[in-house]
Amino acid sequence: MEISVTESGEVRILSFQGNLDTNTSPEAENAINRLIDAGAQKLLVNFESLDYISSAGLRILLATAKKLKASQGDLKICCLNETVQEVFDISGFATILSVSQTEEEALGAY
Amino acid sequence: MPETTEKFTILAVDDTPENLDVVKGILSADYIVKAATSGPMALKIAEKQSPDLILLDIMMPDMDGYEVCRRLKDNELTKDVPIIFLTAMDQTTDEAQGFELGAADYMTKPVNPPILKARVATHLALKNSMDQLQSAFDIIKKHKERMQQELNVGRDIQMSMLPVDFPPFPERTEFSIHALLKPAREVGGDFYDFFFVSEDEICLVLGDVSGKGVPAALFMAVTKTMIKTQAADDSSPASIVTRVNEELSADNPACMFVTLFVAIVNVRSGELRFTNAGHNPPYILRHDGKLDCLDQRHGPIIGAVEGVAFREDQVQIGEQDTLFLFTDGVTEAMDTSNQLYSEDRLEEFLRKADNTPDQLTGEVLSDVEKFATDAEQADDITILAFRIEQTPGQIITDELHLVAEIDLAEIERINTEFTQFAEERGLAAGVAQKVCIAFDDLLNNIISYAFDDDEEHHIEIDISVTAKRLVITVADDGVPFNPFDQVGPDTSLSLEERDIGGLGVLLVTELMDQCSYQRRRDSNVVTLIMNLA
Repeated sequence: MEISVTESGEVRILSFQGNLDTNTSPEAENAINRLIDAGAQKLLVNFESLDYISSAGLRILLATAKKLKASQGDLKICCLNETVQEVFDISGFATILSVSQTEEEALGAY
Repeated sequence: MPETTEKFTILAVDDTPENLDVVKGILSADYIVKAATSGPMALKIAEKQSPDLILLDIMMPDMDGYEVCRRLKDNELTKDVPIIFLTAMDQTTDEAQGFELGAADYMTKPVNPPILKARVATHLALKNSMDQLQSAFDIIKKHKERMQQELNVGRDIQMSMLPVDFPPFPERTEFSIHALLKPAREVGGDFYDFFFVSEDEICLVLGDVSGKGVPAALFMAVTKTMIKTQAADDSSPASIVTRVNEELSADNPACMFVTLFVAIVNVRSGELRFTNAGHNPPYILRHDGKLDCLDQRHGPIIGAVEGVAFREDQVQIGEQDTLFLFTDGVTEAMDTSNQLYSEDRLEEFLRKADNTPDQLTGEVLSDVEKFATDAEQADDITILAFRIEQTPGQIITDELHLVAEIDLAEIERINTEFTQFAEERGLAAGVAQKVCIAFDDLLNNIISYAFDDDEEHHIEIDISVTAKRLVITVADDGVPFNPFDQVGPDTSLSLEERDIGGLGVLLVTELMDQCSYQRRRDSNVVTLIMNLA
């Protein structure tokens, strides 16, 4: 699991590479929380290089979305592969989270 | 006449006190006579003192006798008290109206003392007989309920003995099997069973015990257990049946017996060996629509005669051939005009059928039910269908066996090894990703919650791939736990309302094509199937 962080204006973009599952989720959650603790309110999670996500990964997305919403922040997600999209559809996350096809589209929506 | 020392109570109702005195004079020697001078008063006394008979005047102010009668009959407490109308009116139409309201008798005034005495005595005696009949009926009803309970016990024994989880061997792709038993109101003693006697040999059993009720259910339970025990170290139907017959007929004071069909099918070679002991000949529905009847008989019914050596026969079944077993509850099902469903109808139906075993069993049952319409089902109806899905030559299986230690870090290793295996077999990336998601959730669950002791445990994972299917079993020896029993999350809730949790099982069941759970001996076995076509 590799996580890289870039910036685009106020938005912090996290790119995940590998899998978001039981073993990698704690690390991903730490990375997200470090950004929020440092004052980031607008987060974009780019899943372009993500292979798959399990329920452990969904859990941290839900927690992050709730946390940011409570502090008037915003979490967006982009670039899901087919399997990740299916997981989002099954779990209902496709409707409760803001999901975009491309990074540009997501950045334009803040 | 009163038959006990206790006197009967009679309520006389009349708005003229002189008339009441006359009645009292005639009856008070033999009965306790209560008097009421109006309808409302009569109703009150009748309800409180429950008289054994009521003499009722018709012409009364406020409430006439007809209305009093109507109200007495409407009241649960007084509806059974016989009423004799006693009135000066003597027109036949009035008499008719009284009887219509449920009066027991009708007499005109002035009364003739001996006739009044005689009529009262008659109606009291009649009432007495009615009461006795009622209590006899109550006793019979109670007995009947007890018998019904016994029937239920028999049915519970019978049904609890049958394997009812389908598919029973979801990881076995080379065949499919389905069975159903629809019990008659009174247990008929039918049973079926199926179990592996070796890696590739499955034993199929169908039987019908003589008699009904609890004895039949118990005999069925004993027979079924004996067959399975014998089959454990003997893979010849003839020898299994011979030994079961020896044991059952040696000690069988109730002279019960059972008709039995036992088959052992080698699912790799398609070789089917069978012994028929007095049972209805089964059928083989060939893939090309041909219907073969296995009409060979190998000995008498089981449990009747000792020392019989049963024989067996052998046939070959191939891909898409179905073995169809049934009990006489099917062919002897009757319609309302006592016509039998019959072998002819069954054969005609089977010739047209081209279905999976689970569809076939249900459709045959529906056809029998449609035929029988409202006629009561007299005997158990049992059907078992077994179909060879793929002949061994066409099964190109690749297998992978993985063992995981009880450590969350193992999930990553398992997923890496599986992904590599999937890549080497050219499986789509999506297939591997979905399986990894399923493994992540299932293994996480098992590793985190299945073990509550310090013993050494591990998780066994078996993966097999054919051109059509990917079949995975995950087995752990932890505490019994069916992950698919868990209630999934409500995915229609908003972000604020959504709870974290319960998602894992939902993902597994949705991403896989089939999921099932079985508790086998000391293991939890989860089977996952993905169709690859």
